[in-house]
Amino acid sequence: MSTPPAIETEGLGRDYGSVRALRALDLLVPAGALVGLLGPNGAGKTTAMLLLATILAPSRGTARIFGADVRRERIAVRRRLGLVFQETSIDGLLTVEENLRFAARLCGLGGPKLRAAVAEAIDRAGLGERAAQPARQLSGGWRRLVDVARATLHRPDLLILDEPTVGLDPEHRERIWTILATERRERGTAVLFSTHYLAEAEPADRVVLLAGGEVVASDTPAALRAAVGDEVAEMEGPGAERLARALRGLGSVVTFLKTERGFRVGLKGEREAVVALAMDAPGIEHLSLRPASLEDAYFARTRPGMR
Amino acid sequence: MSTASTVYGIVARDLVRATRQTSRLLGGLVRPFMWLLLVGTGYNAIARLEGGISYQAFVFPGVVVMASLFGAMLTAIATVYDREFGMLRLMLASPAGMPAVLVGRAVAAAVVGFTQGAVVLLFAPLVAPAPASALLAGCGALALSSASSAMLGLLVAARLTSVENFAGVINVVLFPLLFVSGALYPTSGMPSVLRALARVNPVTYQVDLMRHAFHQPVEFSATRGVLALAATTIVAFGLTALLFDPEQRFVGRQDPRDRPLTETQQPRSDAPA
Repeated sequence: MSTPPAIETEGLGRDYGSVRALRALDLLVPAGALVGLLGPNGAGKTTAMLLLATILAPSRGTARIFGADVRRERIAVRRRLGLVFQETSIDGLLTVEENLRFAARLCGLGGPKLRAAVAEAIDRAGLGERAAQPARQLSGGWRRLVDVARATLHRPDLLILDEPTVGLDPEHRERIWTILATERRERGTAVLFSTHYLAEAEPADRVVLLAGGEVVASDTPAALRAAVGDEVAEMEGPGAERLARALRGLGSVVTFLKTERGFRVGLKGEREAVVALAMDAPGIEHLSLRPASLEDAYFARTRPGMR
Repeated sequence: MSTASTVYGIVARDLVRATRQTSRLLGGLVRPFMWLLLVGTGYNAIARLEGGISYQAFVFPGVVVMASLFGAMLTAIATVYDREFGMLRLMLASPAGMPAVLVGRAVAAAVVGFTQGAVVLLFAPLVAPAPASALLAGCGALALSSASSAMLGLLVAARLTSVENFAGVINVVLFPLLFVSGALYPTSGMPSVLRALARVNPVTYQVDLMRHAFHQPVEFSATRGVLALAATTIVAFGLTALLFDPEQRFVGRQDPRDRPLTETQQPRSDAPA
């Protein structure tokens, strides 16, 4: 019998009064996959994650976690999940180890299993020297590591992480991604995460872009980048708009995006004509030609008027 | 097993937290002793009470209940801190879910309330001499009082979303419950409206049951007191379960897709986008 998908949703939606926070999410996360949920603030990412985590009840649609319905089989769903919320879920009055023991109890662990799970989680997150320290004395990075250690403590089959690295320095971000990579490699854990650091989504098997409560793109990072163009010309200055429109007249322009500082134009194929046109353009303070990035795809798909 | 483990975890955490909040713990003990020693000594000179007992002896059962009431209710109402700082969401997402959270928090709050009341009760030989059996009966009354106070505290916390309301709740809920209970003065001398309020106030029954233990004049039978407090605990638990988190209310019920959304299922306006 084949393993059911880690996440499978159809038309999953949620309203807050008259506000439609999530319209209709169709999402498929195979077991063991790494999927990024990206989008601007208010796009519906947190709502989607809370629905999958059984914290919120859906207004419409269906969602299954390893085949279990999030509405009717909440307990079965929760047993498979490890959660990291947008805000840290740590009790500052308890030590790191006490926080993890508490989390283990919430997972239903006790006795030797609890002790072993807590010891492994401390070891996995490199928290050994801080295990006896009150959590309120930890820096933001270490607190987030405790959160990740907590979420992985019972070795769940699916991790749902809402901006797990927000506000962290590169070192702590790296530590967190290393823990997650190890979980995936050793245990085949599926991971659904959201982030505003778009480079973190590059290794994902799939990226789902949300905007205004709906999915605006869903594909591999490479395919999303390719849809923007092979290269992106980025230009700033008073003459940027004129140049961008001139480039638009060339057949090689795939995407055309106005940013806060200028324009980004996605190009495919021949670049010589573009370079020649740009070199002669007046009023250009900055011009670069670089490979398309996930950030370009993000802007191209999530900006109002670009969808 | 999972539910028992979760309840145990929640109780253990709350008790560890209680022992580390020393100023709150000491405050909870100082309050009854201040009433007993400072106010009690002053009132001894002017109060003329039924049976000729001193005001301090009269007020002692009420002060035991006061210690338990504040300890249990404040611990239970502190759930609002967990709601504001994300710990409650973590607990609600556990496989055991909301029922385990409510039971765990109620047990922890009741234990704190019982302990604070018991510390005051230990001073009974100095203020209101009574046989050992009275102390045992007092412990029983204290257990029921603490349980009902804990559930009342959770009921108050059920819809509180911000810690900023905490002080207001103490003024609006705790003090009226205490003042209209006969804990600090007999209800017999109160206007009829207040006497009627006292009769529906669960704390009145807590105090009355404690007076039974100390063989003081009482208003209700012990059976009625026990039943009133048991009913308060059960009803408060049911109401809290209904109000605590509407998102969690329909666990195990029919698929909501099979019926239209009702008003009570509408999402909270402060939910995240």
